[in-house]
Amino acid sequence: MLKLLQKTGRWLFDPFRRVLDRGFGQQLNPLNFLGALSIYFFWIVTVSGIWLFIFFKTSVVGAYESVEYLTHEQWYLGGVMRSLHRYASDAAIITLVLHIIKEFLYDRHRGNRWFSWVTGVPLLWLVIPLGITGYWMVWDQLGWYVALTSAELLDWLPIFSESMARNFLSADVLSDRFFTLMAFVHLIGLPLFLVFGIWLHVLRINGPRINPPRVLMAGSLVAMTVLSLVYPALSQGEVDMSVVPPSLGLDWYYLLVYPLMKHWSPGWVWALLTGTSLLLCMVPWLPPMKGKSTAEVDLENCNGCARCADDCPFGAIIMEPRSDGMAYETEAVVDSGLCMSCGICTGSCPTATPFRRHTALSPGIDSPDLTAALLREKILEAAERLQGNHRIMVFTCRDNVRSTRLKDTQAVVVEIICAGQLPPSFIDFVLSRNLADGVVLAGCPGGDCQYRFGAEWTSERIARQRDPQLRKRVDNSRIALGWQEPWSVCGDLAAIVTALRESLPTATEAVHGPPPGRTNRWKIPVTAFTYLTFAVIVGYLSVWPRFQLIDDGRAMISLSFSHAGQRIRECRKLTQEELNKLPPNMRKPDDCPRERLPIRVVFSANGETLYEAIKQPAGLWKDGSSNVYKRLTVQGGSQHLFIGMNETGESPDFDFTLEQEVELAPGKHLVVEFDDIQQSFVFKQE
Amino acid sequence: MTLLEWKPAYALGIPSVDHEHRELIGMINEVYEHMAEASDPVAIESCLEDIYAGVASHFALEERHMREAKYEEFEAHKDQHEDLLDEIRDMMDAFTDDPQSGRETLQKSLADWFGNHFATFDARLHHSLGDH
Repeated sequence: MLKLLQKTGRWLFDPFRRVLDRGFGQQLNPLNFLGALSIYFFWIVTVSGIWLFIFFKTSVVGAYESVEYLTHEQWYLGGVMRSLHRYASDAAIITLVLHIIKEFLYDRHRGNRWFSWVTGVPLLWLVIPLGITGYWMVWDQLGWYVALTSAELLDWLPIFSESMARNFLSADVLSDRFFTLMAFVHLIGLPLFLVFGIWLHVLRINGPRINPPRVLMAGSLVAMTVLSLVYPALSQGEVDMSVVPPSLGLDWYYLLVYPLMKHWSPGWVWALLTGTSLLLCMVPWLPPMKGKSTAEVDLENCNGCARCADDCPFGAIIMEPRSDGMAYETEAVVDSGLCMSCGICTGSCPTATPFRRHTALSPGIDSPDLTAALLREKILEAAERLQGNHRIMVFTCRDNVRSTRLKDTQAVVVEIICAGQLPPSFIDFVLSRNLADGVVLAGCPGGDCQYRFGAEWTSERIARQRDPQLRKRVDNSRIALGWQEPWSVCGDLAAIVTALRESLPTATEAVHGPPPGRTNRWKIPVTAFTYLTFAVIVGYLSVWPRFQLIDDGRAMISLSFSHAGQRIRECRKLTQEELNKLPPNMRKPDDCPRERLPIRVVFSANGETLYEAIKQPAGLWKDGSSNVYKRLTVQGGSQHLFIGMNETGESPDFDFTLEQEVELAPGKHLVVEFDDIQQSFVFKQE
Repeated sequence: MTLLEWKPAYALGIPSVDHEHRELIGMINEVYEHMAEASDPVAIESCLEDIYAGVASHFALEERHMREAKYEEFEAHKDQHEDLLDEIRDMMDAFTDDPQSGRETLQKSLADWFGNHFATFDARLHHSLGDH
């Protein structure tokens, strides 16, 4: 089931990957740098955010005005910064989501990689609120909607005894202090946790890609800047709490679930959010599980040179003090909780040489899944099946076998765990012992190694830039690295085999050399189109499709008040006798119970009951006020409104009522409040 | 007869590297003895293969120590290592292809390359690391 999902997903994902490979080149394919791009966008957001904060006024009136000033008066800098701030954070969501999807589709979340996967989930819970609080702070009509809806969501949680949403229903309640709090959360609190979270996320990875290649950084910055100039981010009108904005441009990247609140109760929205997060956290442990064995160190052959520790993409090898009394300082120790069984360590081990015909081929570190000795067996076996004078041996990675079309090419295939598992001396072995005339190493598609660095390390080893280096005596024109120019332009593996075969020298022919590097005519169209599409998607979903807070022709009514119900029984005067028994400092004449009764509220419009509830008093001892908060919509026009409240909860009679004919035009907002001083209800239209 | 002899002057002061130097000298002497005694080519081949693996891992360890000590002549020394490994491979192949002439090449160059490396590069390394 999960497997099918991954397979279908890959089938959909791969064409995009191939197209981007063509345009950007495999080394610069943005799909290989999704995580790093997200972090990069976060830096853009940070820098632009600092600029915005310099001019931002943390007050009810100042917030909106200062953002307007930035956007219009200072459009050339502040406006661009504001737009960059928004669009880079939107772009980060796109790259984040693609990052998650990709890691899942290519099965990079399992085994010991669970840690990075699971620590990624809380990052979402930091990034999304960061965006939400950002919209909140602008305090335009969207900010108001975000404030109301967020508060309604938070009110559902049993954290606050008072309703938080009630702060956002009338202008005289909201204080400047609130914006200071918001600024703290948005500017310091969440980003601090986010940086810590990112650190944790990449903690167990060796040499994580924190920064994307410079070309991609420059390209995406240009794309976002152009978008900012062409389609600047704007505020959506000053807050007027007496009217409901007819429609709002929602940023769907951050506010995706908010429209659900129009029909769902907050509980369901929370259930959806926590359910999805928990499911995400569980994914690494869903079947099918792969049983893999971790790398094993053979101390007899380990002198502590630490190459495996340097090359392990998962930081699973640590050099520890020697334990066997040999004259060496250190030895390699494998952490089975981190090892992904890729065999890249064997590829780096200097003792993993196949030139050991008479003594056992036992490298210092080996993968039990496919030992170096077994690998040599397989090579010798495969070589026997080769004939002719253009014999090609292909090494394919186990996780990405694409050898189906190889049958016609008469090449032989040797399956290895990862391209990085093959020590360069094995290539020397194959060619110098005349087991084949050419060697093809087929890495993962697009050079995006399943085990992070297998393809990269191998490229460097073959180019003699990384240890263990391929011996200089080996003729590189007989080796094709499938993921690397010029071979990658050949397309599929069968084409690479054919191209290598054609380029191989024969006894009679002169050397052809590798296929000529074709000029990449796709480069400019594909990269330009990618950046353009990316910018358009970022810009579009940041305001479109627009969201209607209430349907056409309707008006909004908010019930918002708190009132204490009656005590569970009457207060009683203590007799003198009883008072005398009490210690002097506790002689209070009245004995009043703390606990209160719930209140009952009924609200109707034109005779139709729209809200009826019994509200329990707040507080652990049930001694607080009962809070009523409800947002409703009614047909616009003349409305006969009625509200009744009973202080004892049960009784059908009302202690307080208000009945009034109200002219409520469509799109208007009316608040039903309870005036504590007058002890009466008010229908308030600002 | 013994081709090479370990001298205390060879000691770099790094126990592991010195230990391997001694081991390698032993291995080279062994293959030399085999040649002198005109042993079975298989025995010689087998010795050479052990030497190749041993030298490769020895260089790896030595390079690690050089890197850690930020040895200023690292690049040159490293290049020398790579050249030496290529030469051993050439000798191995030469011997496998034609044991008779391979044997002559071996006799001429085996002591040379190891001895030279010792006398020049490792001695300089010795100076440098000795200062610490």
